[in-house]
Amino acid sequence: MIDGLLMIGGGIAAGLFGSLLGLGGGILIVPLLTLGFGLALIKAVGVSLVCVIVTSGAAAGVYLERRVANLRLGMTLELFTATGALVGGLVAFLLPERFLEVLFGGLLVYTAVTMARRRDPVPSATNRAGDGSAADDAPVEIQPPDAGADADPARSSLADRMSGPGYRVHRLGFGVIGSLFAGVVSALLGIGGGLVKVPVMHVVMGVPLRVATATSNLMIGITASASAIIYLLRGGIDPYVAAPTAIGVFLGASIGSRAAHRIDIRILRGLFVAILLYTAWQMLQRALG
Amino acid sequence: MTCPSRPHPQAAPAATLERSIARLLTVGTYASVAFLLVGVLLMLTRGIGPRSGGPAFDPANLVPDLVALRPEGFIWLGLLVVVATPAARVFAALIGYARQRDRVMVTVAALILFVIALSVMLARTLEA
Repeated sequence: MIDGLLMIGGGIAAGLFGSLLGLGGGILIVPLLTLGFGLALIKAVGVSLVCVIVTSGAAAGVYLERRVANLRLGMTLELFTATGALVGGLVAFLLPERFLEVLFGGLLVYTAVTMARRRDPVPSATNRAGDGSAADDAPVEIQPPDAGADADPARSSLADRMSGPGYRVHRLGFGVIGSLFAGVVSALLGIGGGLVKVPVMHVVMGVPLRVATATSNLMIGITASASAIIYLLRGGIDPYVAAPTAIGVFLGASIGSRAAHRIDIRILRGLFVAILLYTAWQMLQRALG
Repeated sequence: MTCPSRPHPQAAPAATLERSIARLLTVGTYASVAFLLVGVLLMLTRGIGPRSGGPAFDPANLVPDLVALRPEGFIWLGLLVVVATPAARVFAALIGYARQRDRVMVTVAALILFVIALSVMLARTLEA
């Protein structure tokens, strides 16, 4: 019973930190369950996938309601994230645990470095969906159109279908490749994959950051469920671990989205970078025996 | 540089579709959280710890577990709603785009559902 309450508490902390710092929470759930509760990494990834679907679901609903997320673009790209996740979900059961631990340690270091270099936090899905902050009502920033990007008429028409008010989508091919990669990474490591999808959509495809973040959040559901189904049917999800963790993460993300504007994120970010690096060290030590 | 927003002929149906999908996502998420919460409360009242090793998923046990108020019944139901909600969202989009006669998006939605169905089939085949 104490373990159950600790797991809910840990989930709340992961969801709270995740939503305050613009991360889905998956990056914290896996270390929590492996290093904190001694779970095998593959089991922790299965639980984490469930948690990211739950936390992204409510936020995605709000984003669609407010018409911030781009449904056509999201659905087109999630066809490829889901395909990547299907492959990743199958491969995950074949890879040695240590390899996945090293991979996760590398992801933690990458995230810590990205956070340390970030000037302003990227508002998370849960963050902006929950608090109804002014950020969601702010005008969408506009990217200059790239005249040479859509020379081919067929691609141009497809890009037009996915473009939104005030911006045009470019370089769909890069989006497809990035989405496949994001899907594989999501399935192997139990994360939403926003670390890959948001930069690809924003920097490469010319989608405004706010729309890219919301669309990436919308895509998490299908991406994670394509692999979560495999974990679930292959016995990779323990219901007694998944339920308290998911409830905790959901509560934490909800609290975080309401408290975000009252907290000095800079101090929190410094603390978070230190936690990520410490966790990476622990994960790599575990991997190397 | 800013571009003025141009009203699209299909803007109104698109907005309606997105509102419907948004509602579906919200209802699905809160329903799954409610089932999981009941499962956790049953775990706590019965003194079941998370490290006691939960039972594997067996569709045949779902209804009997629910009727007997076993925590795993509610948790598995919650988890099924979790993984089914995104697929239901894509199915709703498929219907909506079909009404709008948007063949490209209907194809995209159908392919996504095919990938999800493939996940189920492959996982079952490999497990067997």
